Amino acid sequence: MRRLIISICFLLSTITAVCAADFQPGNPRTMKFPELNFQIPKAERIVLECGMPVYLLRDTELPIIGVTAMVRAGSVYEPAAKSGLAGMAGSVMRSGGAGGMAPEAMDDELEFMASAVESGIGSDMGTVSLTSLKKNFSRTLQIFRQVLLHPDFSEKRVEIARRQAIEGLRRQNDDPKDIAGREIHRAIYAGHPLGTVPTFESVSAVTRQDMIDYHRSFYRLDRMILAVSGDFDRSELLKELNAVFGAVKNSGAPDLPNIAQPKQQFQGEVLYGKKDVNQTVIRMGHLGLTKDSPDIYAVRLLDYILGGSFTSRLTMEVRTNQGLAYSVGSHFDIGRRFTGSFIAETETKAESTAKAISLMKGIITDLTKEPVSDAELSAAREYMINSFMFGFTSPASIVTQRARLEYFGYPEGYLEQYRENIAKVTKADILNAARKYLHPDAFKLVVIGNGAKFDQPLSMFGTVRELDLKTTVPK
Amino acid sequence: MKRTMLAVALLATIATCTHAATLEQKVVEHTLKNGMKLLLVERHTSPTVSAWIRFRVGSVDERSDERGIAHLLEHMLFKGTTTLGTKDYAAEKPVLDRIEEVAQALTAEKAQREKADAGKIAGLEKQLASLEADASRYVIKDEFFELYSRNGGTGYNAFTSRDGTTYLISLPSNKLELWAAIESDRLQNAVLREFYTERSVVMEERRRSYDADPESKLWETFVASSFLAHAYGQPTIGWMSDIENLTRSKAEQFFHSYYAPNNAIVAIVGDIDTTATIALVERYFGAIKPGKQPPPVTTLEPAQAGERRIELLADAEPTVIMGFHKPAISTPDDYVFDVINMILGSGRTSRFYKKLVIEKQIATDIGAFDAPGHRYPNLFVVSANPRAPHTAADVEAAVQAELELLKTTPVAARDLQRILNKMEYEEARRMGTNGGLARNLTEYEATTGNWRYMTEQRSKIAGVTPDDIMRVARTYFTRENRTVGFITKKGGDK
Repeated sequence: MRRLIISICFLLSTITAVCAADFQPGNPRTMKFPELNFQIPKAERIVLECGMPVYLLRDTELPIIGVTAMVRAGSVYEPAAKSGLAGMAGSVMRSGGAGGMAPEAMDDELEFMASAVESGIGSDMGTVSLTSLKKNFSRTLQIFRQVLLHPDFSEKRVEIARRQAIEGLRRQNDDPKDIAGREIHRAIYAGHPLGTVPTFESVSAVTRQDMIDYHRSFYRLDRMILAVSGDFDRSELLKELNAVFGAVKNSGAPDLPNIAQPKQQFQGEVLYGKKDVNQTVIRMGHLGLTKDSPDIYAVRLLDYILGGSFTSRLTMEVRTNQGLAYSVGSHFDIGRRFTGSFIAETETKAESTAKAISLMKGIITDLTKEPVSDAELSAAREYMINSFMFGFTSPASIVTQRARLEYFGYPEGYLEQYRENIAKVTKADILNAARKYLHPDAFKLVVIGNGAKFDQPLSMFGTVRELDLKTTVPK
Repeated sequence: MKRTMLAVALLATIATCTHAATLEQKVVEHTLKNGMKLLLVERHTSPTVSAWIRFRVGSVDERSDERGIAHLLEHMLFKGTTTLGTKDYAAEKPVLDRIEEVAQALTAEKAQREKADAGKIAGLEKQLASLEADASRYVIKDEFFELYSRNGGTGYNAFTSRDGTTYLISLPSNKLELWAAIESDRLQNAVLREFYTERSVVMEERRRSYDADPESKLWETFVASSFLAHAYGQPTIGWMSDIENLTRSKAEQFFHSYYAPNNAIVAIVGDIDTTATIALVERYFGAIKPGKQPPPVTTLEPAQAGERRIELLADAEPTVIMGFHKPAISTPDDYVFDVINMILGSGRTSRFYKKLVIEKQIATDIGAFDAPGHRYPNLFVVSANPRAPHTAADVEAAVQAELELLKTTPVAARDLQRILNKMEYEEARRMGTNGGLARNLTEYEATTGNWRYMTEQRSKIAGVTPDDIMRVARTYFTRENRTVGFITKKGGDK
């Protein structure tokens, strides 16, 4: 009905401009909207003959097909002495040729088709992805399979990857923001694989055989989930996938190496790195929680109110009211397999360094003392519930999301009940979550900048340990 | 059970939606009487919509005494209107006026630098702080953001470039009227409250984005050194002393000169009904009076008559940037540069990557692109990180060798075909997100005068011949047309 009135009005207005003259604009504060019918899109889950689960969503809007394979691998499983192995292996799986196809030939064929096959390994997941025009899908899928299952790890490309990693290390202290980001993670995850970073020694120790072994032990058909979206014909696609991955059930994968959770010890520390710059980079935080905690919904709302939005307390005070920073915020990175982290961050001119740190610690501490206001809770809740649909705006994001939930073992109905669970959170829940998960006295505080220009010495926040930012290249 | 059935129904819906239509078929154009240009695309993949407003004004349009104002104004346009962001504008306004008087006096006194009266500055600063505290009683902080967020809006943002200024938001598709109400209000009744605090925020943005990051600092210096006359050389954010001297009055003047409907392009892409959306925009924006058409930038950069070499000493590893002056977007030679860009710098089969990264291994990464804007003649740029022990000079020589090769050796047909294949794919891909499509439509409509550039570029590029490439390489890749910028490590052995 509403739409009809608008259309009539339009017809008149284009001819006589009558509507415009009588028009009263709506008030954004009280505006009411028509109902929106949103149902969470589902992807179809099937299982290939080899036992591999596949999430499918067909969408013919564009003549493009995308595939992502998620593989149970990750840098957490690499030995500290070879830190960097997983990342390099993930990269050379693609750059180093596969299935007997030389690297140059693969690059040439893929790029001539405007297809892409990419591979990478993060902290707790390996991915190989494919995108291609529909007409080139079958051939691109063949190459995708070789990269995923039969990478050749060309000796030359292994060496290039190592040299690039070494050059990256040489440059790791150029940008103060990079330094701070790395050091806060090292401090929070000290003693755990998640806190281990590659070094010249570890990268130099990685051999081609290490990469082959790493790939062989993790990239098994029974450790993968596939997500496929785009303009495919369902029955043809299934035929092709079964042909590519075969009918042999590859089962009995040994358990993944057992990596312990990071130690829950909360102890403050002040780390300072000297850079001759006019702005100081500040990071502070500690361990957080995993997705298996019943508190995750309260924490998500807490996150939004504290530092996760433009109207959050941190942004409002540090940026909008005091003009001390352009970028300020905080984030609970909710862990999937391993305990996540809480990190608050900003950058401010050298002369307001201590002021900004104190201000931020104070704002965070406040949340552990008093409940948030009704207005803050409702604003956060409405945002989370009303923007939920943006998690489902493309077929590719829908299938990869479903595959990721299975990969990380989220409970059945997680997405379906998400908004309900957010709606149930009370102010008391948020206060409890703040008290449980925020410990400003135990922050690891990382400060990169020119200490001589700070408004107050950093020692006011605790004993300062200075970071060695000299890049000493071996040889 | 009910949920499952609905889900199955939905799967079917997505699966049976209409077959691949071209962009040409999908875009609906509508121009309001006041000159506002509207570009609409219906996409029903999800119940969401993206709305982008692009103003044809960027830092290139600034005079030398207002550098940085386009960007600072963009920040200020988040602060509300006479009815939003305030509890009582009638009471607030006199305080804002007092703030402006005091701030202007303070800015003028500080501009005296070493001759300034420290006592006077302290007094004015105190006065300003007290007035700002007074004004803050009336402010509803970031109410635009709050309203959009409560309604599920995401990606509410804006950006300023040399060429233009763009305001963007994505909303659940039933909330588009909220966008129309807020944005039409902002265009007519913006109030630049909290100006001087926001000016400090922008100074922090400058420190973060340029001063403290060596690669960005080199970039800023390199671009400024490439243009002696044309405003493309000045950084969009402004030099620090420029920002220090911007006032609310200057920003208001700039706002009234450039933010008129006839200077705006709107793209709305997503789950919309085209007819109803045109009506909605007509109702909210149709009565806004057009402004004067802002004049184009008339300064022409004089032909460069010799190589310029720019060094930045920094606490960082070497980086090298090379630039050559070239014509603006959608000129005949610009299409040839599109081909050259892709041959040299796009992907693993590009010449730079194959030669410098894989074969010689003297660089870890290298790219080629056009900058710093597109509306006016710009630069073809190559940027690379050398791999130690190789130097910036080694990389520069290897890049130069590739440029020389383009002058003398015809590019193979297969290389040209690869580019066309890539463009065919990109044409499809970029229709895949509401925001991406809205971005491209507004960008190309603004910089080339017609969004159809997106569909016509491929046929223009298909007409580029190996001879064209050799001619363009010989014309532009000359020593006198070249600017080279590089970082030398502080305390290094050079």
